[in-house]
Amino acid sequence: MFSSLMLVSLLVLTLPIMSSIFNTHKNSTFPHHVKNTISYAFITSLIPTMMFIHSGQETIISNWHWMTMQTLKLSLSFKLDYFSMIFVPVALFVTWSIMEFSLWYMHSDPYITRFFKYLLTFLITMMILVTANNLFQLFIGWEGVGIMSFLLIGWWYGRTDANTAALQAILYNRIGDIGFIMAMAWFLFNTNTWDLQQIFMLDPNLTNLPLLGLLLAATGKSAQFGLHPWLPSAMEGPTPVSALLHSSTMVVAGVFLLIRFHPLMENNKTIQSLTLCLGAITTLFTAICALTQNDIKKIIAFSTSSQLGLMIVTIGINQPYLAFLHICTHAFFKAMLFMCSGSIIHSLNDEQDIRKMGGLFNAMPFTTTSLIIGSLALTGMPFLTGFYSKDLIIETANTSYTNAWALLMTLIATSLTAVYSTRIIFFALLGQPRFLPLTLINENNPFLINSIKRLLIGSIFAGFFISNNIYPTTVPEMTMPTYMKLTALAVTILGFTLALELSLMTHNLKLEHSTSVFKFSNLLGYYPTIMHRLPPLANLSMSQKSASLLLDSIWLENILPKSISQFQMKTSILISTQKGQIKLYFLSFLITLTLSMLLFNLHE
Amino acid sequence: MLKIIIPTIMLMPLTWLSKKNMIWINTTTYSLLISLISLSLLNQPSNNSLNFSLMFFSDPLSAPLLVLTTWLLPLMLMASQHHLSKEPLIRKKLYITMLTMLQTFLIMTFTATELISFYILFEATLVPTLIIITRWGNQTERLNAGLYFLFYTLMGSLPLLVALISIQNLTGSLNFLLIQYWNQALPDSWSNIFLWLACMMAFMVKMPLYGLHLWLPKAHVEAPIAGSMVMAAILLKLGGYGMLRITTMLNPQTSFMAYPFLMLSLWGMIMTSSICLRQTDLKSLIAYSSVSHMALVIVAVLIQTPWSYMGATALMIAHGLTSSMLFCLANSNYERTHSRTMILARGLQTLLPLMAAWWLLASLTNLALPPSINLIGELFVVMSSFSWSNITIILMGANITITALYSLYMLITTQRGKYTHHINSIKPSFTRENALMALHMTPLLLLSLNPKIILGFTY
Repeated sequence: MFSSLMLVSLLVLTLPIMSSIFNTHKNSTFPHHVKNTISYAFITSLIPTMMFIHSGQETIISNWHWMTMQTLKLSLSFKLDYFSMIFVPVALFVTWSIMEFSLWYMHSDPYITRFFKYLLTFLITMMILVTANNLFQLFIGWEGVGIMSFLLIGWWYGRTDANTAALQAILYNRIGDIGFIMAMAWFLFNTNTWDLQQIFMLDPNLTNLPLLGLLLAATGKSAQFGLHPWLPSAMEGPTPVSALLHSSTMVVAGVFLLIRFHPLMENNKTIQSLTLCLGAITTLFTAICALTQNDIKKIIAFSTSSQLGLMIVTIGINQPYLAFLHICTHAFFKAMLFMCSGSIIHSLNDEQDIRKMGGLFNAMPFTTTSLIIGSLALTGMPFLTGFYSKDLIIETANTSYTNAWALLMTLIATSLTAVYSTRIIFFALLGQPRFLPLTLINENNPFLINSIKRLLIGSIFAGFFISNNIYPTTVPEMTMPTYMKLTALAVTILGFTLALELSLMTHNLKLEHSTSVFKFSNLLGYYPTIMHRLPPLANLSMSQKSASLLLDSIWLENILPKSISQFQMKTSILISTQKGQIKLYFLSFLITLTLSMLLFNLHE
Repeated sequence: MLKIIIPTIMLMPLTWLSKKNMIWINTTTYSLLISLISLSLLNQPSNNSLNFSLMFFSDPLSAPLLVLTTWLLPLMLMASQHHLSKEPLIRKKLYITMLTMLQTFLIMTFTATELISFYILFEATLVPTLIIITRWGNQTERLNAGLYFLFYTLMGSLPLLVALISIQNLTGSLNFLLIQYWNQALPDSWSNIFLWLACMMAFMVKMPLYGLHLWLPKAHVEAPIAGSMVMAAILLKLGGYGMLRITTMLNPQTSFMAYPFLMLSLWGMIMTSSICLRQTDLKSLIAYSSVSHMALVIVAVLIQTPWSYMGATALMIAHGLTSSMLFCLANSNYERTHSRTMILARGLQTLLPLMAAWWLLASLTNLALPPSINLIGELFVVMSSFSWSNITIILMGANITITALYSLYMLITTQRGKYTHHINSIKPSFTRENALMALHMTPLLLLSLNPKIILGFTY
């Protein structure tokens, strides 16, 4: 009953894709059909989730044998444990809203049907990823979401930027995949299995190498420092794509992978501190980058990256359940923030620059409300969704005795969250309008209102519900001094006040000379400038000059074919250069003749 | 086996006796029927081989390659229809005859029980291929390409003949079926090292090994579409097949002789795939990508573990279908823009949306997207090379990344972006072409449901 209901809700998702095979006619109701299907899948998935929470089960694994190779058994195996049981409804809920939102956002696109198919395929691969019980199946989902993100970022395929961003996303993801494949190879080699529960049961020693691989994979997928530039670039895709893939589902796959492997990680201190430092660097660096951006989607993208860093920090302090809680709560408000920005962008005729917005609280009251609530939830305002996970994370981090620098960086990043949220609110919503007066602003579309409203309710209440139903295996610290309890709140309020004051003060000032700090933040820490110029240049010129020209066209050609033909040519020229003195040549036969005569005679 | 070989030979009279408007349809249907018959070979009920006669046999290694060969003939015929449409009837018939002849030789090569007959047939496949390249190629460079193709392969394989004769002298038999049981360790001596080299070089040139690969881009680029297809899909696999077969007799030598070639392959795999990043010529890009993929097969065969053999076999089949499909796609561009230069055929997605879907699928399988069989193959090769030496993962990983990059670079350049004005008036894609792509794609997808049948004899 339980697992079959869950499988039903997963199978329901494949129906629209199947129907598109048989139905070759253009069907204009297809997007609605997809949206409804997802809502049915969501409602169906709620039942097993509630049963699961109610009955307090641990894990349900269903196996379907696929093939056995040598000693390795590969099966189609679904793992329905706490993580997948909670994540599936959350993802379905968010996707449902985003689908409805895209009905509004993409309504003029001639290929809206294909767009919905892509989104749905993405959702299916994501579901494969979260329910997978063996590494191979996980890898199918892992690569599937990567490719779907490539297709969706490059949705407007006429634009060069979109294509570049799509290729960039694949490149960074592929670098991460090396780690994943290495981990797969290591587990196969050392534990002879890809099944998660068998790996954990065998609990191999010296897990540095595979866990490093998994960390690299998570770095690529979750846009951690080093492999982060693809996430802001991915904002070239349509806004629903950013809302679905690049805030709530796909980018958390890396964090999810690490959560899945926490039984191995919790025994490995080296990897944990690496994870902690990586997360802390990411969360601070991307928060700094977010401060001076002017593109509203880029700010939210960097904020996503920063939150992902926070999740990785949480894994680093050995609290996978809290990280998971943050994944779930983050999905609600971040998807909503993207949808609000989509609403603004669409209403202002594709204007993404926050300097050209302003005063939208009069024109778009509903979007304004949602944006503010979303931002507050993001900064961890008490009793909104974000509070339940973020506050807990910061408290646990404060009371833990691990790397103080990493924790300090996380705190600063938390404060900066409030700063850039204020900046969006201040520039986009408050003040006088700075957009063209002739813009027709209308947010009264049921698709838009309903979808945002649903996530708005989620952003207010979801954290409460989910955090009430979580049972952390490693219990976070419950008692602490008052000042520690209030740190998270204090730094956030500090961030808010500072940002508001600074924005008000500098609003009418002109930036004469940009300081080096401003340049650092605005140019994304010079990272793309350096990393996207020098290594590709070196690489491509190596492949052109050394691999293609020097080796293939010159050396390898010369060593074998050309030198042989040259040699033949030379010898034949040498031999055929003769004067035509027939008498002399025939006379030369005499020499051989006499020689042979002499030799034959000697033999006798 | 005769039930496949004789019908294939009978394709020739069919071609010559068919009426003008029936030659394509007759031969395509007939060859498709032959390939359906051959499917039954995939069912290998026992661990032993299916022994049909003293001359021919098939086992789990040769059966998938054989099926691939028979499957590809109808596809080659379908692909060549357009570029031969302007030729006189007799030349069309000659062309089909050449393809059929090649097919016959290939079937017999894959099923030969005897190394000498394998060798003779292996060499015999050169003749029709050479004729196809040099007669029906598009540019004058085809003659040069033919020379390269012929001489590289011949120079590589002549020592093999000597080696085979010497082995025949030593053991008294060159029968594949016997060799497995006869198998004795070769003594450690200089002459045996040369024996190893002589045996392996022929196949390494055919694969091709990096450094000996120059013939491949030239021949692939200059050959007509059917030639490119059959070379990428099957002729390269002859090398892999031969290596898999002959390594059983070269036993202790392989363990240390393999090192330089392993290194060269690992290095060459990176080199050739980075060459792909700078290619402007579509067919040349696909050809270099073949070299890079085949380097993986060489690595796998030389590592000599059950997993690597499985990987090598799966990768050969997967790459056969994928690269052949990519050549078909490149050809469909070529027939429209009359140029292989990628930059002249940009933004085709706007004009030919269905073709863009095929491009997408082909590129994705080329970069080994799970759960395609390309991934199964590559993954197994990576696994076995990782267990052979952990450091190889760096090279393998770099290659995986570069493969993804150039596959998508090819996709983006040809399909995405704005289309250029001179391709405004191109023909729409034909049903024939779409069917051709579908016939490439379907086996790839179906095989990924059950990759067991292409995992070779160590499965």
